[in-house]
Amino acid sequence: MIAGLLLLCAAALLGAPHLLVRLEGMRHSPRAALVVWQALSLSAVLCLLAVGPVALIQPRPWPSPAAQLAVAVIAAFASVAVLLRLLMNGHHVGRRIRAARSEHRDLVDLVGRHEGARTRVLPSHRPGAYCLPGAGPRVVLTEATLAALPEDQLAAVVAHEEAHLRERHDLILEFFTVLHTSTPRLLRTDTALREVALLVEVLADRAAREEVGEVALGRAIVALAEAAGLADLTPGAGAGAGAAVARIRLLAVDDPTPVRSLALYTVGVAVLVLPPALTALAAAS
Amino acid sequence: MPKNASLGGLERAVMDILWADEAGDGLSVREVLDRLTDRDLAYTTVMTVLSRLETKGVTTREKHGRSWRYHPSSTRESLTAEAMRSPLDDLSGEERQAAILHFLTEASPDDLAAVREAMAAVETKGDRSRRRRGRGEDSAG
Repeated sequence: MIAGLLLLCAAALLGAPHLLVRLEGMRHSPRAALVVWQALSLSAVLCLLAVGPVALIQPRPWPSPAAQLAVAVIAAFASVAVLLRLLMNGHHVGRRIRAARSEHRDLVDLVGRHEGARTRVLPSHRPGAYCLPGAGPRVVLTEATLAALPEDQLAAVVAHEEAHLRERHDLILEFFTVLHTSTPRLLRTDTALREVALLVEVLADRAAREEVGEVALGRAIVALAEAAGLADLTPGAGAGAGAAVARIRLLAVDDPTPVRSLALYTVGVAVLVLPPALTALAAAS
Repeated sequence: MPKNASLGGLERAVMDILWADEAGDGLSVREVLDRLTDRDLAYTTVMTVLSRLETKGVTTREKHGRSWRYHPSSTRESLTAEAMRSPLDDLSGEERQAAILHFLTEASPDDLAAVREAMAAVETKGDRSRRRRGRGEDSAG
């Protein structure tokens, strides 16, 4: 049955993240890797959404019209439920994130020293660096960061944050956050979200490396990790020290060859195309 | 945008004045205006800024006779600490990570050795991309 095939595809795609996080070589091509992750997620969602329509459309020799009706109704409900959950969750997550950023922006604008149009320096003795993406973006540093880092390392940190803002990495994270929080707790994996967050950092690192070189950037990561370790900084979300090690190791890795990236992009396209193609094939036979 | 930026700068300047007021019984609009010596501002502008700050919850006001006196609702230190924390407690961990992108978070001292070790390898190799670019220029020239 086609709906069954679709469910199988969705199950395979939901299981694929567990496999994907093991393929650390993909981190060498962060941009292509993120495309694969996005294609995979999108494909899984589309499969689930297609279950209802496919079950409704497909003419089949059913044991009884009542059974056919029952299956169609259940499948349609499943699709609608998935769609509604995604839309509602996307709306709420987006609204909360934007509200939080706006409030936080007010805060750093009030407390921080204004250094240029969008850089703010907080009067704190704890080192830290982050950016607030979205409308009215800000790069936020602390006085301790300015004091601790020599100029080239500071430039590396700023280049990293500016790359986040310029390339709108927040949209990638928001996309995955919506999918993650929409997925039932039993099916989702935190490892996948962590991997995506790491890939986003690697992407920004690549941009900063282009500008200032990997030595300055690496030293900045070490310096801030040391300072953060001593000051017991910011518990909670984000890439941890394990991520810092991974990022530094990736600094020494060259940009991927075009062939390698192309292969990954091809995988991304295949992941998107395969389920509908399989379904069409099964329908034709 | 410039207008917005200057308004933000003005809000900050006003907060600096409120924070610097050591007497602690608050300042009137007129007193704030008098202390903004480096700017030529209208009374109503300062009034607007103070009421915006009150809407944002960073100042409180009390009636003294016929005028209001404004206080900062928190110290600069506690607001700074807030700005250092991840935003809003009602966000989930995943949402926080998407709302604010930290350069580095959550370093445990145990892992520092691994971080330093990884960096040592980068140091010995040096800026590979730079050297490559440098070589490229040499061979071109």
